[in-house]
Amino acid sequence: MLLEARNLHVGYGDATAVWDVSLDVAAGEIVSVIGPNGAGKTTLVNAIAGLLRSRSGELRFDGSDMTRVRSHDYCSHGIALVPEGRRLFVKMSVEENLELGCYLPAARAARAQSLERVYGLFPILRDKRAQLAGELSGGQQQMVAIGRALMAQPRIVLFDEPSLGLAPTIVDDMFDIIKRVRDDGAAVLLVEQNVLKALDIADRAYVLEQGRIVTSGLPADILKQPHIREAYLGV
Amino acid sequence: MPSATLLGQALISGVLAGGMYGLLALGLSLSWGLLRLVNLSHFALAFLAAYLTYELGTNYHVAPWWSAMLIVPAMFAMGLAQHWIFDKFKVNELASLLITFSFAIILEVAIQLYWTADYRRYETHYSTMSFKVGPFYIPVLELILCLVAGVLAWGTWLWLRKTYVGKALRAAAEDADIAAAYGVDHKKLAYLLSGMGAAYAGIAGTFIALIATLAPAQIWTWLGVVFAVVIIGRLGNPLGALFAGMLIGASESIAMAVLSPAWAPVVSFSLLIVILLWDPEWL
Repeated sequence: MLLEARNLHVGYGDATAVWDVSLDVAAGEIVSVIGPNGAGKTTLVNAIAGLLRSRSGELRFDGSDMTRVRSHDYCSHGIALVPEGRRLFVKMSVEENLELGCYLPAARAARAQSLERVYGLFPILRDKRAQLAGELSGGQQQMVAIGRALMAQPRIVLFDEPSLGLAPTIVDDMFDIIKRVRDDGAAVLLVEQNVLKALDIADRAYVLEQGRIVTSGLPADILKQPHIREAYLGV
Repeated sequence: MPSATLLGQALISGVLAGGMYGLLALGLSLSWGLLRLVNLSHFALAFLAAYLTYELGTNYHVAPWWSAMLIVPAMFAMGLAQHWIFDKFKVNELASLLITFSFAIILEVAIQLYWTADYRRYETHYSTMSFKVGPFYIPVLELILCLVAGVLAWGTWLWLRKTYVGKALRAAAEDADIAAAYGVDHKKLAYLLSGMGAAYAGIAGTFIALIATLAPAQIWTWLGVVFAVVIIGRLGNPLGALFAGMLIGASESIAMAVLSPAWAPVVSFSLLIVILLWDPEWL
């Protein structure tokens, strides 16, 4: 397994937001975590990205115990985050945002190829590369956020609500891009409220409710469960 | 109305004097803009450096450029030590004001204990040297100060924009967590920047020793003006700090020539208010 979480508890201050979560992502897989607002999806993904410390439990990435790794060393293991709300460096140019993605020496050595790859995926960013990231449209900002992650040459990309706040036509493009990221060789952990889309592209999926995994398995099987149909699809 | 020559001379003297504002603002602007630490002791560090330059120069006859080679690295180390306290006690923007205010007072008292409250003047044969261009006198020391400030501001600006470390510092100032997720060790870089800020205070101190008369209470003289300069120049923007310094220097000097010297202190804050209200695009 590339990523293994076992009985992970994560929280803020006195409040625990994620309870006893176990989750796996294998190399080359797209794994979706779906669940309602406030279920703890972002908390979980931030803990896997190293932004938050887990209370207890195990987090392994390619055999390394990540609970002992410092936040700024997660990236060097091959974990890259496309955070909720994009969180670009809005006062910096598009290209500077991308360059931050290849800050670490190993990724920096491949800066030119990585930039070509990102501009190949998102040609519009090449035209806007000198513009401030904060001046771009929501969809373009999401492209920069994904591009920044790809610049790190990650082995897994964590997508946190990539479709949030985007126009419906762009949402389809985003999911195509996520598939391409996997086809190019990185594993994907996708956290989404857009249940149908997230299940559609996933190899496996987990359902997170009130901080706990309530069910997991193949997307087709999850879609058959009455509880899921009722709560998420309204049928 | 004063003559054109007088006005021209006032403009030149003002811009050159503004170089000192810019130089002092540089370190302050960096730590405020990029680390969210407002370092009131910046001026005290500069004066400590000035007194050390004076001491080495008058008692040991060390030329200021040689003593700067000793003092500037020592100031860098003081910046690191100061940052260790910020780091250890997780000091935020507001607390940094209070803590560095107390540092400044401690340094002021220490200076007073050693050098007394008497005015000290470091006399050198070049301190009043000037040359003439047309009808205008150009003071040599101030010109060198401006060149040094210009090189530092330009170099720092380039460093922040062109190097990975500079970009990482700017990114971490916007969103430290996300910068860390891409490998930026913000803590380490913050030490570097605090050290640099203090080293810049050391460089300013060398020039203060040569240009100004030293007294412990002088630490506070430039506080108001330089704060205005930092804000007009935009936090964290080294070139902005330099240009704002020169703008305020020139405005003060012209106000002194046209109105009366008593008007000079009003100028910096009036300019600050005007620019904050106007908020021009190009800033």
